[in-house]
Order: sequence, then C-alpha cells, then structure tokens
Amino acid sequence: MEALAQLLGGFAVALQPLNLVVAFLGVLIGTVVGMLPGIGPINAIAVLIPITFASGMPPESALILLAGIYYGSQFGNSISTILLNVPGTASAVVTALDGHAMTKLGRAGPALAMSAIASFVGGTLSVFGLVLFAPALAGWAIRFGPAEYVALMIFAFSALSSLTGGSVPKALLATGMGLFLATVGIDPHSAVPRFTFGQLKLLDGMDFVVVTVGLFAVSEVLQVLEETEQGQAVVTPFGRVRIRMQELVSTAWTMIRGSISGFFIGVLPGAGGTIASFVAYATEQRLVDREGTFGKGDIRGVAAPEAANNAAATGAMIPMLTLGVPGSGTTAVLLGALIGLNITPGPLLIQHNPEVFWGLAASMYIGNAFLLLLNLPLIGIFVRVLTVPRWFLLPAVAALSFIAVYAVNQSPFDLILMAGFGLLGYFLRKLRIPLAPIILGLVLGPLVEKNLRRALALSGGDWRVLFSSPLAIGLWAVAALSLLLPVLLSRAATARGAIASTSEPD
Amino acid sequence: MTKLPSDRIVGALCLLAAALIAIEARTFTVSFLTDPIGPKALPFLVAVLFAVAGGSLLARPQPEPSWPSRTIWLRGGMVVSSLALYASILPFLGFFVSTTLEVTVLALLFKGPPVKSVAAAVAYSGVLYLLFVYVFGLPLPVGSLFVGGN
Repeated sequence: MEALAQLLGGFAVALQPLNLVVAFLGVLIGTVVGMLPGIGPINAIAVLIPITFASGMPPESALILLAGIYYGSQFGNSISTILLNVPGTASAVVTALDGHAMTKLGRAGPALAMSAIASFVGGTLSVFGLVLFAPALAGWAIRFGPAEYVALMIFAFSALSSLTGGSVPKALLATGMGLFLATVGIDPHSAVPRFTFGQLKLLDGMDFVVVTVGLFAVSEVLQVLEETEQGQAVVTPFGRVRIRMQELVSTAWTMIRGSISGFFIGVLPGAGGTIASFVAYATEQRLVDREGTFGKGDIRGVAAPEAANNAAATGAMIPMLTLGVPGSGTTAVLLGALIGLNITPGPLLIQHNPEVFWGLAASMYIGNAFLLLLNLPLIGIFVRVLTVPRWFLLPAVAALSFIAVYAVNQSPFDLILMAGFGLLGYFLRKLRIPLAPIILGLVLGPLVEKNLRRALALSGGDWRVLFSSPLAIGLWAVAALSLLLPVLLSRAATARGAIASTSEPD
Repeated sequence: MTKLPSDRIVGALCLLAAALIAIEARTFTVSFLTDPIGPKALPFLVAVLFAVAGGSLLARPQPEPSWPSRTIWLRGGMVVSSLALYASILPFLGFFVSTTLEVTVLALLFKGPPVKSVAAAVAYSGVLYLLFVYVFGLPLPVGSLFVGGN
C-alpha cells in the first residue's frame, strides 16, 4: 500500500526530537486551554502563530504544534464539563449530560477515564480516515477551476453561517465583516488602496493574527470580567481515574460508531465537533439506551460524544489541507498559519509538501498517545489549573496576546487595533453574532476574490461562467440548501429542544 | 421605560455601513483594465451582505441580550483604555516596565490582592521577556527611555 509507505515516511518526520517536543507541547497546551472555559483553541493558536514564525521552526513542526493544540483541546474540554458542568467548548455540551451526572453519582473518576479513552479512540481512528480520504479528495479536487473554488468557498460560508445554530442574518453579517476586513489595504491585483482612509499602516491590510487575538482573546478577558463576581470554581476530589474492563468492552461499538460518524460530519464545512457529538449521542440513545439510562449518568453517553468530537476535529482538517477551504473558525486560523509559513494548502499540498501532510498525520498518532498519558495518570495535576484564580490567569493571557500581536509587525499600532477588536468582539458576543465566520471571511476573502476575478477574466466578464460546470452548479445548490436548512429544521424541531448556540465555536 | 432593541440599532448601523462601503467602493477605479470586475466587486458584495443582514435585523430583532451593570461597564472601559495606553507607552518604557504596569492594572481589575498582583506582574513580565528575547529570539522593545536617543 502506497499510503502506508508514505505514512512511514511521516513517522520519520514526526519522530524527530523537535517534532516530538512540539507535539507534546501542543497537546499539553491544548488540554489546558480546552479545559479552561473561555480560553479556547482559537485563542491559543492565534497567540502562538507569530511565536512559531519568529522561532523559525520548519512548517511541519509549526503545524504539528498548532494542530496538537486543536485536537488536544478536544480532550481537555470534557474535563471541566464532567467535573464542573462548564463545557470548555460547544462540542462538549452533550458530554455534560451524562458526564456531570456521573460526577454527581460520585463516579467522576470513571467518567474522566472514559472520556480520555473515547477521545483517544476517536482521535486515532479518524487519522486512518485522514490518511485514506485526504489524498483521494486532493486527487479529485485537482480539476477544480476558479469557478468551482468560488462555489466551494461560498458553500463553506453558507454552511458555517447556517450550522452554528444561531441566527442566519447575524452569521451572514459576521461573514460580511470578515470579507470587509479582508479587503482593507492595497488590492494586490490593481494596486488600488481600499478602505485605508489615508492610514499608511493600513496599506498592508489587516493581519488575521491581530484580528483573531483581539476578537477572541481580548474580548474573552472582557467577558470574564463580568463573571468574576461569581467566584472561583471548586473541584471536588474524584479519586482514581480508572475504568473497569467490562465498561470498556461495553462501550467499544459506541466509540467506533461515534468515531466514524464524527469523522464524516467533521469533514463537512460548518458542522464540526458540536454537531458530531450531538449526532453520536442521539444515535447511541436510539440504538443502545434500552433502559432509558442516558442522561442519568450512563457511561456510553460520555463515550459517544467524546469519540465523535475528536474524530470530527481530524475530519475538519481534510478540507482545510486538501482544498484550502476550512469549514470552521479554528481550521481557518490553521489555514492562515500555513499560508504565513509559505505552504499553500490545496490539492497539491500532499505532493509538494509530503513532509507536512504525512508528518502531521503520523504526529497525530503520537500526540493522541501523549494525550492518553496526560489525561489518565496525570489528570490530577491538570485539574488544579481549574482552580487557578482568574486575576492570576487572565492577565497572563493578556500578556501573551500582547507579545503575539506585537511580534506580527513590531508595531504598537497593532496593539491599538487589537484593543479595538477586543471591544468589538465583546459587543458581538453579547449580541450573539458569531465570531468564527469573521475569521473565515478574513482568511478566505483574498482567495474568493482572486478566484472570482480569475474566473471572470477567463470568461471575459460573463457571470454565467460561475455556473458553467455540473460540479459548480452542485456546489451552489448545496450552498443554497444549507442556508434554507435551518429554516426547515427549526419548523420540524422546535419541540426537540434547542441546541446551545451561545458557546464558542470549536 | 421602553428601549430600542439592540438588534434594531445593529441593523440600522449595518445599513449605514452598507451605504458607506458602497459609496467608498465606487471610488476604487483603475485607469487600465486589469480584469473585468476590478477591485470594486468584493466590496459591493460586502455591502449587499451588510444590507441584507441589517434589513433583516431591523425587521425582526431578537430577544435583548443581558447587558452588564454600570460598574462592569466601567471596569471594562478601564481594561480597554489601559490596553490603548499600554500600546502608547510601550515604545517609550519598553516591554518589561509597560507590561508590568499593564498586568498589574488588569490583575487589580480582576480583583486580585494588591501585593500579589504586583508580584505576579513582575514575574510574568520578567519571565516572558527573558523567554521570548533569549529563547525564541523575538525582539521585544527595550524602551527608548533606557536606550537613550533611539
């Protein structure tokens, strides 16, 4: 098998000492930020991007580090969910149902162990999917022309706007804001300055690290300021984190089913870990919950969503790596990082940068093994992070953000922009305007524009070129459908209880 | 007291933004033909998105968010203005001094105990400065006050 040989080559990359160290650091940081409510993987990745650039590490090491934070956070987010009923990210919301119920029954130890093992199963099984499907998708996408790319990116926008569960007009507004920010600066095609208002410092455009750190990290600091009144979390002791063999066997199929469905849902733009975990939970409830114990502390109710959201995190990397079109805020930030490292994600990535793709795939096995180690024997140490007081933690987040933003251009002006975006992000959060589409719009804006202009240049200005191939028409159709879907679903599912739409995107 | 729904205000602002973006985008002209649609197309598309979203929010505002109390606004405002102040003193006082001051202010705003807040700020700034300058090789400003002239 060719893929197997390639993967072995990937291990040669992933096992280099530097890459082992960064994989470990990545999953360690990921677990911590996933665990802490609010400080999500987007914050951590955005803050670390300029630091990885400055340290001059090779692109594959940078990606191994940043991706480690991403999938590591999926492990960590279940810890605060299970112990405190405070999901770190939206994709752990369902885990709270049975996970926290188990804590109340005094079974926090087995719940944490189950979540770590299910996350490991989801994380590793889905890497098989990545290795299998990414090259195939890349081979197919190589025929995409500019018109197909435009349609694909519109699909990514509309899917993210409709599937986050909030208001579609607000998500469209967020997409518009992102695209607007993308147009600020000198237009690379015609050298016309756009929306710079005579400010020389805006000619280079908005750096997505500055925008992301402001929108996510600084607004988070403001958000937490409001919550400091509520006092500090108290973690009850939970004894040993272990699980009986019998419980492990009884959840095996649940984990496998959750991994498979989670992986494929993760590949779809917009869907991501949140929907994957809901689907896996609902499926298991229908298939195995004969005694009606789901929601009352059933261990399978922890296994299903945790396997699914970790598998979805891997799945979400596929469109980002092989099409260059991310479907979520976090993968958009990863795409921005790759572009900054002079790696062009897209159908040719696997051929042109095999060390990046296969090195990443191999490192994900290693990273998941590290995560299992961190989350089983060492979890007691980790959980102490939850009791770190806010006044001590948040200023550290702020200080790291300053360094990251300053590192981009060595410019204090960027720090002022960051503060401005922080305030904006706070208002947007309050108004329930999602932040992830802004990042997606900002990162994909230049690509949409480039392809749109290229397609129309080829056709001599005839807009029908955008609908000229069956593939493009199909993509436009699913894009339109995804925007109508929430309207149709909300009519059907008002009785089924609302999906939490307030939490941060994964 | 009846208040204007927040979403209606946002909607109106969006319509205003859409108009301003469209007006500004009309000036993006190139003397020679680079491509059929030029630099205007995407800004116009953005204006349309703002207009559609704005109109929809104006017509159908959603339930009011829970805005924080006045004391929280005051503290939030202090956080944001301290960040702006930080940006302006950074080139002069350098990373270590500025960051120590800023982190102290933030820790105090988060109701940290005064002495510990200062200690934490000194520790963070010192460790981060040494880590980034000497380990990662990232240049952080020393401060023109200390270098003199430059």
